[in-house]
Amino acid sequence: MKNRLKVLRAERNWSQQDLAQRLEVSRQSVNAIETGRYDPSLPLAFRIAALFDMPIEAIFAPD
Amino acid sequence: MTAQGTQRGGRARWFWAGLMFASFGVIAALRITDAIGEATGFILMACAMLLIVPLTRAGLAHQRTTGHLSPAVARYTRRFMIASLGYMLGLGIAITLSERMELSGVGAFAIALLPVLPIFAMIWTMARYLIEEDDEFLRHRATIASLAGLGLVLAAGSFWGFLETFGVVPHVDAWWTFPVWAVGMGIAQCWMSWRDRAGTES
Repeated sequence: MKNRLKVLRAERNWSQQDLAQRLEVSRQSVNAIETGRYDPSLPLAFRIAALFDMPIEAIFAPD
Repeated sequence: MTAQGTQRGGRARWFWAGLMFASFGVIAALRITDAIGEATGFILMACAMLLIVPLTRAGLAHQRTTGHLSPAVARYTRRFMIASLGYMLGLGIAITLSERMELSGVGAFAIALLPVLPIFAMIWTMARYLIEEDDEFLRHRATIASLAGLGLVLAAGSFWGFLETFGVVPHVDAWWTFPVWAVGMGIAQCWMSWRDRAGTES
């Protein structure tokens, strides 16, 4: 899965730690998702989408 | 905590992990080559396991500085430390009793349980961690590490078993499965940590 997490985070001037705290996950999780090493579960993807106030498909896309 | 402090904590973690695994390796080599006896091997292994205390402390300190210390990790660490202490105590009592009396039947069974019950507690602790960890990525990593440990046990056990059948290597006691599994899990965790650091924050 490709994702725009890094871009969206940068637009808000958030660090990985900032985003991790907002999502209540570890910074490692944010890092792994951003670098494409881990695809989040559907519940976490929904939480990410809600945080950025965007639909899931605007953040995640198939390779 | 400064970046320098975080780096120092990371180095301490690697130092203790390296020392512990090197100790396991040396003890295993000494035992396999019959340079040391069974009882000595047991005692040395228990002593080497004590290194888990500074390793755990360094690991927790490092995780605290980088914000990775989840409540589930803290609970896991506390339970595992208690089980490790129980293991060392049970092992010491079992070795002392086995050297001073002729063991057989129910007595041998009961004494064998002394170090084994804490090992059951360690396995339960790991299972509880997988259940209690809310962070799905950390849970995923722990699962992969456990499977890597299992893979090492199955591969090494099968290979060694056939070598033993063909008379190439000496007999190795089955209680080695747990340390070998833990080593495999540790190697997998180290590899994943190293890979994680490759993805740096921008």
